[in-house]
Amino acid sequence: MDSGTISSVDSPRQAIREYRRPRISKLVWSRYLAAFLLLVPALGLRLFTSVYPFFRTFYFALTDYNPAFPPLQFTGFENFVRMSKDLAVSSSVSFTIIFVLLSTLLQLFFGVLVALLLNSSFRGRGFVRAVNLIPWAIPMVVAAMGFRWMFDGEYGIITDLTRRLTGLDIPWLTTSIGAKAAVIQANVWKSTPFLALVFLAALQGVPTDLYEAARVDGANRLQTFFKITLPLILSQVVTIGLFMIVWQLAAFDLVYTMTGGGPGYATSVLSYNIYQAAFGGLNFGYASAISLVLFVLVFIMGGLGLILFRRVEVSY
Amino acid sequence: MMHKSSPAHATSPLSYRLERAFNRFLLYLGVALFLFVILLPFYWIFVSSFTPRYQMFSIPPRWIPTEVTLKNYANLASNIPFSRYYVNSLIFASFSSFFSVLFSFLAAYALARARFRGSNIIFLIFIVSIAIPQIGTLVPLFELYKSLGLINSRFGMVLLMSSLILPFTVWTMVSFIQQLPEEIEEAARIDGANLAQVLWRIVVPVVKPAIATMIIINFIISWNELLYPLVFATSTATKTLSVGLVELAVDPSMGAGRPWDMMSALSVSMILPVLILVLFFQRLIVSGLTKGAIK
Repeated sequence: MDSGTISSVDSPRQAIREYRRPRISKLVWSRYLAAFLLLVPALGLRLFTSVYPFFRTFYFALTDYNPAFPPLQFTGFENFVRMSKDLAVSSSVSFTIIFVLLSTLLQLFFGVLVALLLNSSFRGRGFVRAVNLIPWAIPMVVAAMGFRWMFDGEYGIITDLTRRLTGLDIPWLTTSIGAKAAVIQANVWKSTPFLALVFLAALQGVPTDLYEAARVDGANRLQTFFKITLPLILSQVVTIGLFMIVWQLAAFDLVYTMTGGGPGYATSVLSYNIYQAAFGGLNFGYASAISLVLFVLVFIMGGLGLILFRRVEVSY
Repeated sequence: MMHKSSPAHATSPLSYRLERAFNRFLLYLGVALFLFVILLPFYWIFVSSFTPRYQMFSIPPRWIPTEVTLKNYANLASNIPFSRYYVNSLIFASFSSFFSVLFSFLAAYALARARFRGSNIIFLIFIVSIAIPQIGTLVPLFELYKSLGLINSRFGMVLLMSSLILPFTVWTMVSFIQQLPEEIEEAARIDGANLAQVLWRIVVPVVKPAIATMIIINFIISWNELLYPLVFATSTATKTLSVGLVELAVDPSMGAGRPWDMMSALSVSMILPVLILVLFFQRLIVSGLTKGAIK
């Protein structure tokens, strides 16, 4: 480093201002070079494993690429025509949207509820908070497998539990509506604790004298929650909601392991379709076309979420 | 949540005490319900793994088995290359975690101390690339990996996995490094230390907790990963436990019905390491997971 230039200014901030001047000195170049070198591994890896494949998918979507039958042919929009008649894809699109929206809403609701619970004082709170971490930490494959076993029509304990409580035999995994409900329940169970964790951290940042003041003013518990607690954690709620929507649109492990998309196409989601088309049928071109549908869905729902996010940011 | 004193409630002491007791009751009821819902799957997987096969398939299911056995674990070890998969999972998770944290730390330092045009855009690229679904990138990656001869390569899988968890790690690291005062680093540079020395001697010692946290979190996430090993590991030499579990479920040689006995034993073996990490490093993990979200 050229230390002579730095010693002529007396604070780092002033030094930064010096560096930003239009004249590009040797020092600026070495700073740029350093930043570039530090960023290269991470940025290179992201470009190579995420950005490049993303753009490559657009090209493959217009071909009949099948690794077993090279070379690939350019087929235009044939894949999309085929997709419009494919019942598996159309039912996957609708279940993907239902799955994501319903899961996210339930996760947000229970997440706030659990966070409130974990924030109140009771005996054994440390232990309960540790337990809350476990569903986040275990593999989705294990959770999905466990839930499939528990929802089993004959030997499952959830089926047994609902039978004892309601007297009804609920065919969880063998009917369309039952399987959908089962998958969403497993998903909510797996991710709610993570949301609760984030909300709990947000709640701990709410100054307690606000609650004191509300109590002195005679506010009841519901009023305190809606007028004080919720507004203060709302930006976290919306951020996490947005993140969960985008992230769960591409969720694969749960459906693949728990139901295999069944019965029929009842619980099939787009990611499952893509996987089946690509690595079940080796239709790489077709899988890429379905991937584009998923990209569009992520773009639309992420965009809507961002708009909502902006609104909340402005109003609070 | 407790009402210690409530001047607004001008009620008699008795009804006040009753209300308080009732509130306590509701609170503990909520806690009990929460524990039941969260722990039920663990209880069931755990108990199943020690239940003899003939007792597993009984109607109605036995909540508590009358006989305990280790045979499920023995069956597991003799039916699939269990220890091989275990080692593969350990290697995959450790290296993915190490490289993701190393690269993230370097990038995060550049971004946190950014003083160049376009640094915001680079940060944005990291964040937005989270939204590119992993499943949608598999076909081009498969083509690329095939031409590079990286299918079934540990190195190739670790690259993919490190990359997948990079954005989140960078995000958390940036918010951590930004909290540190910049003056010491500046002083060291004025004294003639080069970048590597500043990073190793000054920054690393201070961000050690953040590095440890992200190593643990990324280990857990990589340990749990299914999709990359499922697609890119096609031989026993590279397959991980998650692939082994999925394969047990679809293996036709197991006959009718699923081998729940072995599947639950494998599940318990897979949960155990993450459970230990969570119990030992609860505080670190919580701080790491909430750092990016809470500003």
